Amino acid sequence: MSLSNAKLLELYRKMLLVRSMEETHGKLLQEGKIQLMGHFGTGQEAVAIGVTGPLRPEDILFGTHRGVGEFIGKGMTPKDIWLEYLGKKAGPCRGKGTLHLADRKLNIPGLVSSLGADFSMAVGTALASKMRRTDQVTLYYVGEGTCNQADAHPSMCMAALWKLPVVFAVCTNQFCELSYMCDHYPTDDVAPRAAGYGIPYEVVDGQDIAVTYEATERAVAHARRGQGPFLVEYKTFRMATHFTGDPGHYVNPEEREQWAARDPIDLCRKKLLEAAVITADADQKLRAEVQAEVDGAVREGFAAADPTVEDLFEDLYSGKGVL
Amino acid sequence: MARTLNFMQAINEAIAEEMRRDPSVFVLGEDVRVSPFGQTAGLVEEFGEERILNTPIAENAITGAAMGAAMNGMRPILELMFCDFSMLAMDQICNHLGQWRYITGGQYPLPLTIRTAVGAGMRMAYGHSQSLESQFIQAPGLILVEPSTPYDAKGLLKSAIRSDDPVVVFEHKKLIFGGVEGEVPEEDYTVPFGQAVVRKQGQDATVVAFGFMGYEALNAAQELAQDNIAIEIIDPRSIVPLDKDTIFESVEKTGRLIIVEEGRLRGGLGAEIAALACGDYFSLLKAPVQRVAAPMIPIPGSPVLEDLYLPNKDSIVRAVRRVC
Ligand SMILES: Cc1ncc(C[n+]2csc(CCOP(=O)(O)OP(=O)(O)O)c2C)c(N)n1
Repeated sequence: MSLSNAKLLELYRKMLLVRSMEETHGKLLQEGKIQLMGHFGTGQEAVAIGVTGPLRPEDILFGTHRGVGEFIGKGMTPKDIWLEYLGKKAGPCRGKGTLHLADRKLNIPGLVSSLGADFSMAVGTALASKMRRTDQVTLYYVGEGTCNQADAHPSMCMAALWKLPVVFAVCTNQFCELSYMCDHYPTDDVAPRAAGYGIPYEVVDGQDIAVTYEATERAVAHARRGQGPFLVEYKTFRMATHFTGDPGHYVNPEEREQWAARDPIDLCRKKLLEAAVITADADQKLRAEVQAEVDGAVREGFAAADPTVEDLFEDLYSGKGVL
Repeated sequence: MARTLNFMQAINEAIAEEMRRDPSVFVLGEDVRVSPFGQTAGLVEEFGEERILNTPIAENAITGAAMGAAMNGMRPILELMFCDFSMLAMDQICNHLGQWRYITGGQYPLPLTIRTAVGAGMRMAYGHSQSLESQFIQAPGLILVEPSTPYDAKGLLKSAIRSDDPVVVFEHKKLIFGGVEGEVPEEDYTVPFGQAVVRKQGQDATVVAFGFMGYEALNAAQELAQDNIAIEIIDPRSIVPLDKDTIFESVEKTGRLIIVEEGRLRGGLGAEIAALACGDYFSLLKAPVQRVAAPMIPIPGSPVLEDLYLPNKDSIVRAVRRVC
């Protein structure tokens, strides 16, 4: 394992942060304190944190609607996320994006509403990286359902044709909205589609953070070396329902239990305890500290100023005033 | 010093000059190296294949790719050959492109220029002839321009390329193929957005004519002059932002307003300007506003039917006569 203990601990903390962020979101909804629906990535933390872990600050990330994992992974703070989620003026998108998180200082250009519209945008950011002679890589994080959008194909085609530094990171969580993947795919894997464009690919376990991290690291290195795109498919399971209003009657409970036994956070904790990187006490303290950070962010978010009517017409055009 | 250039040369020159001036400017689109209509012909020799980039045939995806490049430091000029094809990219254009800057709180302006060809009369039938400008006016965050002379084609395109906002430039096929000529200065210049020009002065009625329709209006003016009706012809040049001042200063003088567009009537550019007139400028009007536009039917393939479909000099004359 090339992943150092220190790195593993750092990734573990991020996974805890993601879980705590989403649980807190769910709680606030239940308590009627917010209306913002959530699409949580419970059980997929090792993918979201594993795909973003190897990225450099200058690398570009396109994330998904499913929770905050990759956004935390790329460095967004709970505070910035809550400021934005609560629609506050001090949010990175000044409260205009809310669930559609973007953060320029972290090279997160935004989150689309129509699934897959960003497939080609990721090709474009990678094209610009190449044209500008940078060694920046774009990571396009996407669900398997979205890979059926038509644009997936010309996007992979352009990426391969122009040998662009882009990694397609496909999170196969078994569900596409309210149905199983098998309703959407005649195959078990999405990844072999890449071969049609001469793009190399790997299919890996999405529950083990060391595996997801290292597979991504290889793919990113390939892209950064100028060898063109790479696709990695991570196999995981969506423990949450599609969104907070979905009771999830269609989920097979036995299958869910099987996957729950391989919860990515539990697996990682076990590894850290076995390797004596942390003690059980230190783990308790860490979790409390993470929850306190999230609670603090929520408090600060609620206390922050709302945008005003003057902000309504701002940011549409680069010039001042309404057209 | 000015020389005479045709419409196509003016576009080509604007792109070449901006590419020389700014290394972040590049062209992408389907077959832009050879150039289906000729606007980007020859550029690949000077700028190379990296900056004159042929793409797969996938309008929505290449628009998204251009947007991504704009998010990351480039200033792409995207060609969507026929405006009809831009409908395949409407998700990117209407749902994302114009709104990106806003929803990212100003963090991600998208300096992207989209060039696309409008216009019927070339016998290209229903799917290669439409003037779909009005499909774009509901989308916030876009700048929309439509030049009608080589001078404006070059000057507006330069403004578009330098703009930090996304701009759609509508180029009329009759102007591209028809070789309309005009004086264009040697030295660098731009035409600002939101500035209309008065193409002909007159005191009896204000005719706002978009793009190629300006030429039909000039022909109509000649015929109407025989009856001593002097129309004032305004070429808005920009659809968004619209130069309301120039339009309604003219209406203040004439009291009559006729809006002419090649696109279809329902919910068209004319509807928008008529609504403005009925609201903020109602007291200036001495007669009902007239709209000249295409009927709500597909563009027929038959040359005879196509000519009947198209708004032209005669329909403008009829509209002016209704109110003068
Ligand atoms: C163009 C478009 N169609 C449909 C939707 C509605 N929708 C939102 S999430 C989703 C499922 C996506 O599945 P997948 O890509 O596998 O991601 P997951 O939700 O499993 O994380 C759908 C259909 C949408 N947002 N955009």
